[in-house]
Amino acid sequence: MTDREAVLSVRGLSVRFLMPGGRRIAAVTDAHFDVAAGECLALIGESGCGKSVLASALLGLLPANARTAGEARLGDLDLLAAGERTLARTVRGRLVGLIPQSPAAHLTPVRTVCSHLRETVAALTGTRGRAALRAAAEAAAARAAFPADHLDRHPHRLSGGLAQRAATALALVGDAPLLLADEPTTGLDRDLVDPTVDELRRHVDTGRRSLLVITHDLAAARRIADRVAVMYAGRIVELTDARTFFGTPGPRHPYSRGLLEALPDRAFAPLPGMPPELGSLPRGCAFAPRCDRATDACTALPRLADGVACHHPHLPEGLRA
Amino acid sequence: MTCDPATTAEPAWRSHGTERRSTRAVRVRVCVVLVAATVLAVLLVPPLVRLDQQAVDLSSRLLPPSRSHPFGTDDLGRDLLLRCVYGLRVSLLVGVAAALTATVIGTAVGATAGALGGWADRGLMRVVDTFSSVPHLLMGIFIVAMFRPGVWPVIVSVALTHWLSTARIVRAEVLSLRARPYIDAAVSGGASRWRVTVRHLLPAVLPQAALAAVLMVPHAMWHESALSFLGLGLPTHLASLGNLIQAARGSLLAGQWWPTLFPGLLIIVPTLAVAGLAGAWRERINPRRRSELML
Amino acid sequence: MLELRDITAGYDPAAPVVRHATLSLAPGESVGLLGPSGCGKSTLARVAALLHRPDTGTVTLDGSPVRGWRHRAPRAQRTAVGVVFQQPRLSADPRLRLTELITEPLRATHRRDEIPRRLAELAPAVGLTPDLLDRRPHEVSDGQLQRACLARALVLRPRWLVCDEMTAMLDASTTAALVAAVEDYRAATGAGLLAVGHDHVLLQRWCERTLHWNDVTRTRDPAPL
Repeated sequence: MTDREAVLSVRGLSVRFLMPGGRRIAAVTDAHFDVAAGECLALIGESGCGKSVLASALLGLLPANARTAGEARLGDLDLLAAGERTLARTVRGRLVGLIPQSPAAHLTPVRTVCSHLRETVAALTGTRGRAALRAAAEAAAARAAFPADHLDRHPHRLSGGLAQRAATALALVGDAPLLLADEPTTGLDRDLVDPTVDELRRHVDTGRRSLLVITHDLAAARRIADRVAVMYAGRIVELTDARTFFGTPGPRHPYSRGLLEALPDRAFAPLPGMPPELGSLPRGCAFAPRCDRATDACTALPRLADGVACHHPHLPEGLRA
Repeated sequence: MTCDPATTAEPAWRSHGTERRSTRAVRVRVCVVLVAATVLAVLLVPPLVRLDQQAVDLSSRLLPPSRSHPFGTDDLGRDLLLRCVYGLRVSLLVGVAAALTATVIGTAVGATAGALGGWADRGLMRVVDTFSSVPHLLMGIFIVAMFRPGVWPVIVSVALTHWLSTARIVRAEVLSLRARPYIDAAVSGGASRWRVTVRHLLPAVLPQAALAAVLMVPHAMWHESALSFLGLGLPTHLASLGNLIQAARGSLLAGQWWPTLFPGLLIIVPTLAVAGLAGAWRERINPRRRSELML
Repeated sequence: MLELRDITAGYDPAAPVVRHATLSLAPGESVGLLGPSGCGKSTLARVAALLHRPDTGTVTLDGSPVRGWRHRAPRAQRTAVGVVFQQPRLSADPRLRLTELITEPLRATHRRDEIPRRLAELAPAVGLTPDLLDRRPHEVSDGQLQRACLARALVLRPRWLVCDEMTAMLDASTTAALVAAVEDYRAATGAGLLAVGHDHVLLQRWCERTLHWNDVTRTRDPAPL
């Protein structure tokens, strides 16, 4: 872990959905992690593992049937306890910048990129006057490397990569200390993934911001992240350095290992079975039914210790005598 | 990092709900009560209350609302409450029958146009355009005038002027569904045109069509009242709400407000309640709202 | 053979998305077609699955020329090609349970008697458990729904499979599982495959031959045969 001060500090974050008929869906359970300034943490896992719900919780965008517990500190503010007014006036855009999934759909189709930027600049910085707004919008576009001659285009005339930059420019306007990117590469062509994540990475390397990327695209995570948190069935099962995770000695949790081995440039072998239902999680380790290392010990819930929540983790290469 | 043993105990849960839901629930409840009261009154009063709505009592003509006649009496001394309940019964019957007929015609035309496409679609939609270019009331009057006065001509008249919007709604819905990959998958799986329409398209548009039907009931009731008010609708001996208002026209000018006010309210209140319920239902079947429940 | 010759297709005859595309698959062969998004490769995939009538060009399926598309194609020709699309949510009728979704083609082609047997074979092959089969699309995850969509494409035992960005929305493990299911089916039946996508790492690993969009649409002189 870095010695820099944490921008976002999540402690014991849990989210439950109350469903009709009294069912409770355990979408996120007891998440602990920090993101430091100048650092990128990638939250990875299969769809439905709870990672998007976690992001929504941080932004206060959960639906009415959700219940949360724990805390998510951003400076002095607990994002989970903040009311809608605080979230709308001081958090969204100002403290947390969101880079949404499918940015082309996130932009209003009838307005140009420039008009989006002008509105956001006016709302977040209080800039007034036509010329000043235009200048501020151009500056904001330049920060995200969005070409100035495309500013007067409508979203449908942008390529996927440019739409992504437009969305990034909008997220950067408020100069928020935390950027949250939700599946920034889904739907992008493979050739566009690398430049897009490099672009995101650039904003972290200034050292002031931190970036939380939520993705199931392991190749993108590998390129952008300093650390990775692997989520399975609502829990973080491994939290470790990205270089050791994707390189040697590799991940230590059997699930993370299986996920990496499923990549087409590795073994291309699927994990057996499917993730459990979040509404009826097994007691103990949720991955045990799919795990080839499972023993009787796995009926007890493994604690996240030393970066991995497993009773039988793979040992780091150096320790294997 | 290890977990604090304290966190394994059930934590304190925070709610993030908004209060908007509860006011809507109250509104829906009020509408349900009003609609239920209307339906019950219409169904139960005639068989249970053995009073003759036609009973003329010339000694008690045009009495204002009182304990014995809560809605007052009309110019022939008939009890207006009873007349109104019977009137509502007729109006509701006409409204529901006309709305159902219009929905069936509209759904059939809209689904055929949407599912077949091409010249069939263009032809059918021109028919719809032609029908809608004539003012509703004018065409309604024209149709009624072709028959002898009675309940059926009014139903036919209202139905024939009201199926157009349903046809448009259903066609638009079918067209948008037809472009879905699941229709492609069905075609690729060997499904015939008929099967695609009946199995995949129609079930998907039925909630919309049913909603249109419910919203059309108040419309049809208004239309019937308008025709009756003009003296072209139901025969005068049938106490429909429109007839009641029409008959009371003269007394309104003489300052007797009750023979027009109560039938008028009985047109407005139940129809608003039905429209309110339909609105709540539309929010329910709207997929956007459904996706509000994540996962 | 599945042969697409000099196909020009699109939604507006004045501005076709596919121009002069030529592509042929040998029986049992797997071909990956790579291209950036919006290039028209999905339209070409729909032409190959007889779901979109091209403006010009010919499609030949197992020796016989295709004369009609969609409902106008003979049922035997239509069902010889199974298709899987990118977005499982849009590819599944939201009202049908997964069992009905998978077996719908059998019902549509009046082969109800095969339903129990095919279901018992396909559900494990794509990794669906019995409790999932009873649910409706909104009660399962994208990955689970795409497994059901693959099973539906296989239920009539097509000789050809067209997978249009089948795994673009899915995580690595589900991707590997679906590709394995397709390959198991091909190994058992000798079916040919056209996999369309933008992920060259995936398609190169999956298919015997990968083509780039530019190789397919290059305008060529009609080769004298």
